[in-house]
Amino acid sequence: MRNEPLLSVSNLTVNLLTAKSAVRPVDGVSYSVRQGECLAIVGESGSGKTVMNFAPLGLMPTGVTTMLSGSVKLEGRELIGLPEAEIQKLRGKSVGFIFQDPMSALNPVRRIGRQIAEMAELHLNMTPKAAEARALELVKLVGISDPAARLRQYPHELSGGLRQRVVIAIALAGEPKLLIADEPTTALDVTVQAQILRLLKDVQKRLNMAMVLITHDMGVVAGAADNIVVMYAARAAERGPVDTVLVNPRHPYTRGLINAIPRREDPVGAEFRGLPGLPPALAAPFKGCAFTPRCDMAVPACSLARPPLEQVDGNVFVACPVVNHGKVAA
Amino acid sequence: MFHFISKRLKHSLVLLFLASLVCFTLVVSAPGNVAVLIAELRGAVATPGYVDQVAEEIGLHKPLLMRYVDWLGDAVQGDFGISYRTGQAVNADLSKRILVTGMLIAGGGVIATLISLILGFLGAFWPYRLPDRASRGLALIGASTPTFFVGALMIYAFSVSFRIFPSFGFEGPESWVLPWLTVAVLPAAVLSRVVRVGLEDAMSSPFVLTAKSKGLGRTAILLREALPNITPIFINALGTQVGLMTATAIIVEPLFAWQGLGDYFLAGVRFRDFMVVQACLLLFLSFFIVVNLVVDLAVMLTDPRIRRQWS
Amino acid sequence: MNMLKTILAQINKMPRAALITIGLFLALGIFAPWIAPQDPSAQNLLDAGGGPSAAHWLGTDNLGRDTLSRLIIAANTSLVSVGSVLIIAMTIGILMGTIAGYHRGWVDDLLMRIVDVGLSIPSLITALAVIGIVGPGYWTMVMALSLAWWPMSGRISRGVAVSIMSKPHIEALRVLGASPWRIYFGHLLPGTIGQVMVYATADAGTAALAVATLSFLGLGIQPPTPEWGQMLVDALPYLESDPRQVLLPGFALTAAVIGFNILGESIALNRIPKPLTRRMLALRRAEVASWGKENSNA
Repeated sequence: MRNEPLLSVSNLTVNLLTAKSAVRPVDGVSYSVRQGECLAIVGESGSGKTVMNFAPLGLMPTGVTTMLSGSVKLEGRELIGLPEAEIQKLRGKSVGFIFQDPMSALNPVRRIGRQIAEMAELHLNMTPKAAEARALELVKLVGISDPAARLRQYPHELSGGLRQRVVIAIALAGEPKLLIADEPTTALDVTVQAQILRLLKDVQKRLNMAMVLITHDMGVVAGAADNIVVMYAARAAERGPVDTVLVNPRHPYTRGLINAIPRREDPVGAEFRGLPGLPPALAAPFKGCAFTPRCDMAVPACSLARPPLEQVDGNVFVACPVVNHGKVAA
Repeated sequence: MFHFISKRLKHSLVLLFLASLVCFTLVVSAPGNVAVLIAELRGAVATPGYVDQVAEEIGLHKPLLMRYVDWLGDAVQGDFGISYRTGQAVNADLSKRILVTGMLIAGGGVIATLISLILGFLGAFWPYRLPDRASRGLALIGASTPTFFVGALMIYAFSVSFRIFPSFGFEGPESWVLPWLTVAVLPAAVLSRVVRVGLEDAMSSPFVLTAKSKGLGRTAILLREALPNITPIFINALGTQVGLMTATAIIVEPLFAWQGLGDYFLAGVRFRDFMVVQACLLLFLSFFIVVNLVVDLAVMLTDPRIRRQWS
Repeated sequence: MNMLKTILAQINKMPRAALITIGLFLALGIFAPWIAPQDPSAQNLLDAGGGPSAAHWLGTDNLGRDTLSRLIIAANTSLVSVGSVLIIAMTIGILMGTIAGYHRGWVDDLLMRIVDVGLSIPSLITALAVIGIVGPGYWTMVMALSLAWWPMSGRISRGVAVSIMSKPHIEALRVLGASPWRIYFGHLLPGTIGQVMVYATADAGTAALAVATLSFLGLGIQPPTPEWGQMLVDALPYLESDPRQVLLPGFALTAAVIGFNILGESIALNRIPKPLTRRMLALRRAEVASWGKENSNA
């Protein structure tokens, strides 16, 4: 049962065309998620991690034309090339979404109850009455106190944490098999972040869903994920089980990220360790490795050819020939 | 909620007071001696003695403040004085005229709302496609065509070329159609743009991405998510347009020979009948204030965010 | 110089249809006396109500006057009166707006409250009330319309002035001890005028409508000066027999107003990203194709 991945993405490339420019935010990335598993996708803002998950499911803002290539299989069904009407049926039903900013993700002039119940009506063919009951159940499930009263309220009457719980309830309402959470804790207060993350983890395990957790926070990854994909400038830099990658990062970028986390043994007032330089702006794809300008291990060959993602040991894949084969071989 | 209404009512009362002050000052500051005008109206020879007598009679000798209080007291009871031109009471058939103008604005308002919603939705359903371009083109033309020309075109098309509707009069529904359509063109054009832009704005807000992620289709998103969001904006714009329709009525009523308030006001302006101008102006201003009050209350009922500020 | 540059930059972004229409209106308005083929007030009752002919390309009106010439001269009438109204209204509006934006506080509150009241009354009603008290005439009309128009430019210039005053270089000037006069006349006023003028131009269409409406009602431009609204009302009794005389001035006025309104719309809406045109899309696709298929491995 756990053999066939629920979601398997291979060699996915996304091009976005706007009136101003054409960009390639995702360039040949592959990964997969099984039922009951949590995959974390980590990267700086602009590394393409959100587009990678939203674009194949047709969730792009207006005014942008999306071009997809590669393969995205959800429960064995190819999504790329599927007409929008078919993809629309999958959204909410097979895949639930959680967004970064709960302040703006909810419709300000509609009651919370309606916004949740509408999902049950749409995907579970419930009567409005049954859907209201289901909404109540969901609101309880995501741990909102005084649930009956909350259903009658409007989004602006709730705090950020409560709103994110509502967004989670909406995502769960259609009983999806896959949950895609885009930076679900970034916009929240620090104290609330841990609660929301715990809740997500809890419902994922309880409902035995697959989850893709998009984040830039290594702490979130350590606590929640089974596997990890590290993205840099539209490409996957490193991929593998969380416990291996976090303990023994190989790609210079992953190492830099983990090294940047402040440690307990750091003396008070110690200098903040960051990565030197800035991530490249999204544009046309790079010829070589996009990390070369910031990399302390770079050799001239790095900027010539694109580094392939190679299996190192176990299930870890690294896209760095210098690490994989040593400086000379690269 | 109650707090809001009482506060808003007080605000309206202050505005009404200011409006009355404006109307009063306008006539007091008008050039020419009113008493002479009235004396001549009565057909008497305007001897200084008689003029003085008239001035005494209508209270011109009293201090300004007293005159204002007297005038306001009368106006509140519906007595707007005597027309300088006809010598008859200004309020003679004022209620009938108010009814006529009310009919015009109400009919025009309903038609404008319907047309603007249809045009605006056409545009929002197929943005930047043919229906959108057509509806925006219509809106542009509608907003740019002078009302008197719209009226002339209506008469030319519907009562000269095809004798479908009468070109003037106020007898029965058939005679209402052309004035209603004429008065509705400008607000329909402006409001359709409000609907179109409002829907597009709403459709590009983040919660629409959530709605999409729920698996809702475009139609459902427009109707369930975007429409409730533009209701307050639409009500606001409709209020402004209803106010503006009083100005349109001034053009449309004479054109179709409707004896409404606009027609009365225009006649007052033409013949410099200050008392008529003053009465109509006070009624117009009061109407704007009431419309604004109703709009604010309606917006509060349709927008939970504003409702909450006051509860 | 700076002002000219901002204006030119803004003109560059305007839609071409609007520029052509407005340009035509301006050209006709300015050069009307030289363009008009005949004397617009020469009557010829024998020729009255005639159709298009070699002598009168667009026919004649009920007094036998050449319609084409009258239409052209009317552009001049309209341009001059709209120009006067806008100049007077903008002068008052910009003065009030910049004073409010410079002083803030109670001055701002008071002026903007007056502007609010002015904006809430339809301009036609304000203008008619003034005309009703003072009596009709050309200058009464101009003054009445200016009185109805200034609150609009007052509100806009106040907004612009506030944003200019909060810019760092004004802050720096203050710290350096520049006199209020220098800040006001050297920086605030020129900056405001440049930006407000564009809005005011877009509003010229509505002003032209108001002039024509007042003339239609017989309370604006007085005969024999030709004006579109007045030509239309003159011809209205003959609508059945000679509709051309009603339609021509109506269309001329509408065309001019459409030009200004397109301009206004292009200024108002430019925030929401529009979908790509087909040509743009092809261009972008070609760009993407040139990146090649580098993503063979994964």
